[in-house]
Amino acid sequence: MAKHSRLVRIIGRAILYLILIVGAIIAMTPFFWMISTSFMSLGETINRAWIPQTPQWGNYAEAWKQANFGVYFKNSVIITTVSLLGLMINSILAGYAFASIKFPGKNIIFAILLATMMVPESVTVLPSLLLVRGSIIPLPGVDSRAFDACVGAGGQVLACQFQNFTFGASWLNTLQALTIPFMANAFSIFLLRQFFQQMPSELYDAARIDGAGHLRYLFQIVLPISKAPIMTVLLFGFIGSWNSFMWPLLVTTRDVKRPIMVGLWNFVTEAGPQTHLLMAGAVITLIPILIVYFITQKQFTEGIATTGLKG
Amino acid sequence: MNDATTFTQPKLHRQINERVKESLLGYLLILPSVLVIGVFGLFPIFYSIYMSTFNWRVTKGAFTGWENYTKLFGEPRGLLIFAAGIVLLVLAFFFWKSAFTTNKKIQRILKIVAAMLLIAFGVAFSTGWNSFTGTGDANFFKSLTITLYYSMLTVPTQLLIGLVLAYILFQNIKGKEVFRMFYFLPYVTPAVSTAVVFRIIFSPRETSLANILLSNLGLQPLDWLYEPNSFINMLFGSNLEGFIAGPSLALITIAIYGVWTFAGYDAVIYLAGLGSISKEIYEAAEIDGSNGWHLFWHITFPLISPVSFYLLLISFIGTFKAFNHLYVMRVPSAQNSVITASLNIFDTFYKANNFGYAATQAIVLFIIIAGLTFAQNKLLGKKVFYG
Repeated sequence: MAKHSRLVRIIGRAILYLILIVGAIIAMTPFFWMISTSFMSLGETINRAWIPQTPQWGNYAEAWKQANFGVYFKNSVIITTVSLLGLMINSILAGYAFASIKFPGKNIIFAILLATMMVPESVTVLPSLLLVRGSIIPLPGVDSRAFDACVGAGGQVLACQFQNFTFGASWLNTLQALTIPFMANAFSIFLLRQFFQQMPSELYDAARIDGAGHLRYLFQIVLPISKAPIMTVLLFGFIGSWNSFMWPLLVTTRDVKRPIMVGLWNFVTEAGPQTHLLMAGAVITLIPILIVYFITQKQFTEGIATTGLKG
Repeated sequence: MNDATTFTQPKLHRQINERVKESLLGYLLILPSVLVIGVFGLFPIFYSIYMSTFNWRVTKGAFTGWENYTKLFGEPRGLLIFAAGIVLLVLAFFFWKSAFTTNKKIQRILKIVAAMLLIAFGVAFSTGWNSFTGTGDANFFKSLTITLYYSMLTVPTQLLIGLVLAYILFQNIKGKEVFRMFYFLPYVTPAVSTAVVFRIIFSPRETSLANILLSNLGLQPLDWLYEPNSFINMLFGSNLEGFIAGPSLALITIAIYGVWTFAGYDAVIYLAGLGSISKEIYEAAEIDGSNGWHLFWHITFPLISPVSFYLLLISFIGTFKAFNHLYVMRVPSAQNSVITASLNIFDTFYKANNFGYAATQAIVLFIIIAGLTFAQNKLLGKKVFYG
């Protein structure tokens, strides 16, 4: 009897591992497919080999050259770095204020910020675009009259945008348009607030007695022990900025200003049947994400578990 | 505050001063975030309302008042009937709820009333809906059904897979971290890049990965992302039309992508939730003789319900927000069978350059999401067990 139940247990265990492995295979197959195809020759992609005979490293150089990935890559690195810097500073300050500072209207402001999480980008993107074009209010250093006159005279929108840019008359194709919208989001503030709230209040009282104000307490005591949630905000912010597509698609009209996702999409519409080059391009766009993910992975999952994201 | 009178005057002064200072610091610290979110998250909603009252192509044209809305909804009578239907539904809900608090006889009457209200709702809803699609913007309402299909296909599937994976991983599995890392990867990687890969895996070519798998199973190749026909019709050779025809194969393929991306995310969040259930509860239940399935159904499932509720809400909203992968995976041959509400709005202003009307669609979509979120909170929020 005992032997029988042991056998059942082993089989049960084996089934569990089987499910997990099948899940992992399904999760990984598209990546395997992508990498394998990126090393194939054109003939192999048509005849659908599983693994390339001899890896065509040249595909990467070819894709890099054909699609201008060098420029896109550089743009994305700059955009992501600037956005992340802003996001970090803004979320830490706001998260701390919402967690530990008393001020009138705090809860209602926080609730309104949280409510913005449910609004789709497709709803907000149009007025934001007009704003960046300078059609709603005059922007610093910008005059939209040239653009309006151009369209008013029956010009094509894209042509006018382009002309407009050369006049420096809008924020299209500028770093501020590509970064500022990513410099704050309710999710990051929420995440940090949850963590900061769990700090024992004795800690603050003690700092207070030592004569430290809120800011010194935040930077000298709170931040050094908040690595996990900050990593989480960083990784999510990095993903959000690097992977962003709709907004950059709208606010960039010139190839040299485009970030990598828009560049990849352009490549998709141009590369046609050159699947192997397309996949090489897709792999290139993934690399920074993979590096950052594998480095921050541990702290990041810890961050999720410790910030009360669980409900 | 009561003992404020016991303070001497200067001390009170200093206290008020400090409180004002603290408040000012608070406002100062939240200012940058509030500005960014306010300008790019809140202001557009109000400005869209303003835009929706104009004939706004690229630049602002004439003021048109309700015109955009009547273009969208068609006959005003239809909208009124539809709104009345929603009111009936809310009433039915309240009657049904109050039926459980009074005595048996009244209970029965209340239940009958609720049932009748529900039937009336059904009639009003379908009358209103037919009026919308007949006299209003049929494409917009079609895009709402597509969105709904997409939610129904992805949300339950991804939550279920996420929970199963998390529950298994929680059973002292060797290599737990490695599995978790693999499962989470699809969520982390850029949607545009992975959607491009899916476009190739699910291409209609006979040598695409999906079709190779089918032919290994002895099945005919399919058109996948290029197939605008209803999957149910293809499967049973039936000829259904309208809502009951169900999603197209192209939409189902996109839903597969959705599940592939988010199941791992759900699993990671579930795993964090499972970790927070105290071990003693399990030990106590095991002493009482509970076994695996029992434990899961009577202990894990209720205790994990806040996580389920959170994930349900954000995934549901997520399906309404979904854009990037849909934009990348839609191909002309799939026709409008994969155009969700978000894509529809985007096309209205990006392709058709009709800004005023796009703003109108955006406002209507926003109201629908707000309503559905509110309803989910009301209906399910109470069932959640917070311990």
